[in-house]
Amino acid sequence: MASDSSPANFVNGASSPDDSNSSPIGNTFSSPGDAARRRSRRRSTTPSAYTTPPPPPPHQSRFAASDANPALTPTPSSRRGRGRRAPSTTPIATTPSSTDDAAASSEGGDGYDADDARPTFVWGTNISVEDVNEAIYRFLKHFRESSSVSEDDGLLMEGKYETAIKRVLEVEGDSLDVDAQDVFGYDPDLYTKMVRYPLEVLAIFDIVLMNMVGRINPLFERHIQTRIFNLKSSTSMRNLNPSDIERMVSLKGMIIRCSSIIPEIREALFRCLVCGYYSDPVVINRGQITEPRVCLKEECQARNSMTLVHNRCRFTDKQIVRLQETPDEIPEGGTPHTVSLLMHDKLVDAGKPGDRIEVTGIYRAMTVRVGPTQRTVKSLFKTYIDCLHMKKSDKSRMVADDHMDIENPPSRTEDIPFDEEKVEQLKELSKLPDIYDRLTRSLAPNIWELDDVKKGLLCQLFGGNALKLPSGASFRGDINILLVGDPGTSKSQLLQYIHKLSPRGIYTSGRGSSAVGLTAYVTKDPETGETVLESGALVLSDRGICCIDEFDKMSENARSMLHEVMEQQTVSIAKAGIIASLNARTSVLACANPSGSRYNPRLSVIDNIHLPPTLLSRFDLIYLILDKADEQTDRRLAKHIVSLHFENPESAEQDVLDLSTLIAYLSYARRHIHPELSDEAAEELTRGYVEMRRRGNFPGSSKKVITATPRQIESLIRLSEALARIRFSELVEKRDVMEAFRLLEVAMQQSATDHATGTIDMDLITTGVSASERMRRESLLSAIRNIVMEKMQLGGPSMRLLELLDELKRQSSGGEIHLNDVRNAVSTLASEGFVAAHGDSMKRI
Amino acid sequence: MVGLPYDLVANPLGAVRLTFEKAVAASGFEPDSMDWAPVDLFRQFLFDQGNLSQVPILNGETIRWLRPKTLVRFRGMIQDMLGNEFYVGAYKDGSVWRTNKFTDVSQFPIADSSADMRVWERRLLYCVPVPGQNSWTEPASELVLNRCMDFTSQQREKRRRVDDEGIDHMDMLVSDDGVQGSPSTKKMKEDEQPSVSSQNHESITESNCPNMSIVPGIDKDSLPCLVKIYDSPESDLKLNDVFEFIGVLTLDSELQADKDHDELSNGFIEDALEHLPPNKVPRLHCLIHKKLAASDLLNCSPVMESKPNLVKEIRDSLLRHLTAVLGNDGLAAHLMLLHLLSRVHARVDNVAVGKLSLNLTCLSKESASLFGGQLTHAFRNLLPFTHSIPLTVEYLNSVSLAPKKDYETDRLITGVLQLAEGSHLIIDETKLEAGTLNSVGVENARLLKNLTELQKVEYDFKYYKMEMAADVQLLIFSEGKSNILPADIVIPYQPSSVGSSEVVAGQALEAWRWYLASVKSLPHSIDSEMQKVLENDLVASRQADRSIGSHDFNRWLTMGRLMSASFGETCLSLEHWQMVMELERLRRERLK
Repeated sequence: MASDSSPANFVNGASSPDDSNSSPIGNTFSSPGDAARRRSRRRSTTPSAYTTPPPPPPHQSRFAASDANPALTPTPSSRRGRGRRAPSTTPIATTPSSTDDAAASSEGGDGYDADDARPTFVWGTNISVEDVNEAIYRFLKHFRESSSVSEDDGLLMEGKYETAIKRVLEVEGDSLDVDAQDVFGYDPDLYTKMVRYPLEVLAIFDIVLMNMVGRINPLFERHIQTRIFNLKSSTSMRNLNPSDIERMVSLKGMIIRCSSIIPEIREALFRCLVCGYYSDPVVINRGQITEPRVCLKEECQARNSMTLVHNRCRFTDKQIVRLQETPDEIPEGGTPHTVSLLMHDKLVDAGKPGDRIEVTGIYRAMTVRVGPTQRTVKSLFKTYIDCLHMKKSDKSRMVADDHMDIENPPSRTEDIPFDEEKVEQLKELSKLPDIYDRLTRSLAPNIWELDDVKKGLLCQLFGGNALKLPSGASFRGDINILLVGDPGTSKSQLLQYIHKLSPRGIYTSGRGSSAVGLTAYVTKDPETGETVLESGALVLSDRGICCIDEFDKMSENARSMLHEVMEQQTVSIAKAGIIASLNARTSVLACANPSGSRYNPRLSVIDNIHLPPTLLSRFDLIYLILDKADEQTDRRLAKHIVSLHFENPESAEQDVLDLSTLIAYLSYARRHIHPELSDEAAEELTRGYVEMRRRGNFPGSSKKVITATPRQIESLIRLSEALARIRFSELVEKRDVMEAFRLLEVAMQQSATDHATGTIDMDLITTGVSASERMRRESLLSAIRNIVMEKMQLGGPSMRLLELLDELKRQSSGGEIHLNDVRNAVSTLASEGFVAAHGDSMKRI
Repeated sequence: MVGLPYDLVANPLGAVRLTFEKAVAASGFEPDSMDWAPVDLFRQFLFDQGNLSQVPILNGETIRWLRPKTLVRFRGMIQDMLGNEFYVGAYKDGSVWRTNKFTDVSQFPIADSSADMRVWERRLLYCVPVPGQNSWTEPASELVLNRCMDFTSQQREKRRRVDDEGIDHMDMLVSDDGVQGSPSTKKMKEDEQPSVSSQNHESITESNCPNMSIVPGIDKDSLPCLVKIYDSPESDLKLNDVFEFIGVLTLDSELQADKDHDELSNGFIEDALEHLPPNKVPRLHCLIHKKLAASDLLNCSPVMESKPNLVKEIRDSLLRHLTAVLGNDGLAAHLMLLHLLSRVHARVDNVAVGKLSLNLTCLSKESASLFGGQLTHAFRNLLPFTHSIPLTVEYLNSVSLAPKKDYETDRLITGVLQLAEGSHLIIDETKLEAGTLNSVGVENARLLKNLTELQKVEYDFKYYKMEMAADVQLLIFSEGKSNILPADIVIPYQPSSVGSSEVVAGQALEAWRWYLASVKSLPHSIDSEMQKVLENDLVASRQADRSIGSHDFNRWLTMGRLMSASFGETCLSLEHWQMVMELERLRRERLK
């Protein structure tokens, strides 16, 4: 039974007042065997053990303590003090000097009966049964969530767990989930005891629970188990050590194997082969069933005649599950640890291999016997976790269920993934004046330069607020970014980095992904023949960032799917009889190479990357990452690489946030910060937008340049919201808007600048042709028209285009003219019916 | 060994016990978290007194005659980690505290009550001989054998004197048998000790018939070993590290015998130990472990001071040797030397700084096999761990390069790319012909590419992949520039003669090995003035040629570092930098 007891046994010191009354040897009495029996009883589902309210754990100290009513007036402080002392104990006094193995049940009655004033202690501990009994009762009876207490009718309401118990009774459930956070909030002392001595406390918990059930519905026959979950701290599998044995622990991990379901006998029924007499059900005791040797029927009394009747025995399900550490907990150069879980009843088959779960259970160790016949046990232990509760956790890196969507307003009572200390730390961070720059620096710190691109990416990570108008129109909060640039400018590295960081990030390469791979496809389940809709990358990255590398290499077909995703944020499927619209509220981060190997500054963005303008305009920010022949940049690159090689890389990057802090910061902001536009900011937005539009109207110039479109103002709002979020501010301020303008302008200057004039021209993005280009074409057209009118007769000899080009060059002093342009212009003239073009020559008609 | 009541080599557990008892007595029994440090005793004995060479090496050869419960050494790579094991560390036998540390079974029955028992934990590591280990790194074992015989007789004498309380009874019996192997004794002992017989029996049979022996399943060349580590921080021992473990050998079979029908085992899930029967995988209870650096593998390290002259001489002779092997291609030999000295010395996010993989192009199938064979042979004599992979479509499609977790047995199944730090890998791409890759092949090609680019290998854990850092020198033979394996340096290979297969004197070999091992681990720095020069050079070359990018800068700086290291210097000088630039110029010329 070695494994059944805690390794560090407890002896109470004399310092606490109510203990001083009892024996100095220690007031912890009961036999180990009895403790074990109680344990096994807890697991059993025998109705008989519970329908009659079972007695509280049986033993009373024979040192009748004189403190009259310890249970009713517990002194939490001293209790807690003792709890803390628990691990440091001396081994001598724990030897139970008394085995008061009385027929326990004779002392029935409720533990919190005031007449029964003498405290009973669980063996080996200082847990007073009455104390705990009472504490649990009070907790179950009176616990209310803090929010409901604050309301006026709070006291009139039933406690949370009373309601829960009633609900369990209604649905004839067999377990009651108890949130350990609630226990801690109500009675920290009880929580400490529960974690430290789970076997004992949970047994009492069950008893109290059954008492309450009995009062509500005396006829209720099933046994209800307490399932504790949501411990305050969860242990890492790696850190489980011998001192955790017999304690309640909570672990996260991934299921890697499940055994088949093992029927475990709980209650056996025997039949006499001689007379056919059926024995009473025999309950399992310490893992064994004792077969009656003699037939109990008085007339028969045949020896060794009893045989087990299988189909009248009671079995419960049992399953052994192997849990492995999640990859992020594995230190560098280590392999994942695993631990066995023992699942019972309802927990059986609750998780499948591959699921990430969080379990709460009791860590137990079991000795290994040398052989079935040998008494000597080997010095080894097998460890496992006796599972109490299991919760599936989602698979995302960051908390993905953020509430950028207003359909799902954040609810207060949902599980809190951030402990307060961490939140404080994050808030502290957010107050730093240079948090924006610091975050920028922390983003892909090994990629130097590209600060503005990083700022844009930061905005994308934080995201704006989604908005749904009552009219049904919705505005996305996701920011889409396109990076276009020369090869070798670490675009892909940026993408990889963002992918690592973002919630539900999906990384795909445009080259390999098809339209269905990105959106969704329909397959037939090979076993059932059912048609199944399988999500593609975009749907999978719902509420995340979909990183698409080599965007330009993507097939036309696949790209067209993105139109819907990027504006409507849905994917529509009409295939194999399935018509569905799937949510794809994803930000798209794409990167593309110019169509030539290098970016040709003479051509527009559209010509450089063969992307349709319709798609291009859906990106909020388009960055051109050009490898400019700039000595300054080269020098920085050189410096960077030299320092990479010859300096301690750790010391080089000082004040950057590490990845985990960054992720925590991000998820907290996305989850809890929902900035709104201040009036000032709104004003600034309007002003800025008008100014941007006005910039296109050059006084005295006939050309109309569109420098901003309504799409831009939406982008601006999103960007400024994201910027406010970075500061953890609930209000978008003027400076956010100004920074958003700056970001947009930087991006536009790179991508939408008309290289001929140096002004920003949205036409470049929206139509692919800049206004100045259009003007140039028109003047060329009229020049050619003039030449044709002057030099050529109707029906006369044809003129070669090269000659025309020479003529044009002679006439116009500056400005280069390409043969291509001429050819385009001539074909325009031909379509007007002015000339006839044949290959490289033309004729006036 | 004067003054020690126990022979630490033949009976290490005796010393463990004795120190434990002493410590218990001193502290007034509180064996709770007590580390009574018998390790210091061993450390002192082995290192301070220089007795390390007396400890026999455990390998496929020596396992036949090594006796259990003696001190042995094992050199190996940590191939898998099997998690922690809880055991009864200390327990009360009557009124006396005993310890189980460094053993598998307890001598005395353990009381049932938990009050008399302390549970401690130890880590299990599955170690294998380092993949690709070359024979010159292994210390000779005959010596040890003789010595061991001596020990036994010594020990026997001693034992007669010290045999107290019969604790060491078993050890002695076993050792007696190990030497004499007399059947009569065997019978007698068996009669005497029926209760502990299983273990006893096993050892006896072993020692009696060494031929059909204990270990029929053991491949002589690769004896795995299950090492149990005590009291060591987790970060000390990492996967794929090469260690020397010194500890107590046990070959007990009782683990195998236990088919106990307890709660967990009938479920299927059993620990990995079940698949590692102790008669195939010896257990080693580690007292001292030490990470092996390249220089530790040198058999008899010549006491050479790194005087610049000497280093330079060795460098020149090695360079001559490489040039000869490479068929008088001096440029290739220079680059090869740098390549052999490369190692990953820092990782900044995705960049492995310091790697220098080499791609020899312009090799046909025939010349690759000719020069490749010579190079392979040469490297085998120079480097501790070498491998070569002939890359073919079938190979890519069938082999498992990455290690894979097998959840059935809860073991990490090793793959070709699970290599120790500093291994050298030759990949011959000339054998690759056009063909279709299946999904395995594609995956393998990706793994190889990742290894060359990032020096990382993805281990397959079925539900997810885990990246493990690697440090492997990659040499690639190909006809054109290899695209599967984008190496740092690509150089068209131009031999002018068929490489000579000259016989190299043993002494020269040893000097070269020492050179490669010690020069490689030199620290390196660069003064600020030189940094300026470098920066200017980089900027200037980039201004001149836009196609030069960060990749090239990285390569140059790595080459600069290695170049100055190859002269045994720790600081980059202008001269060496210019040599690098000259090499690079010659290389570029050849590429045209």
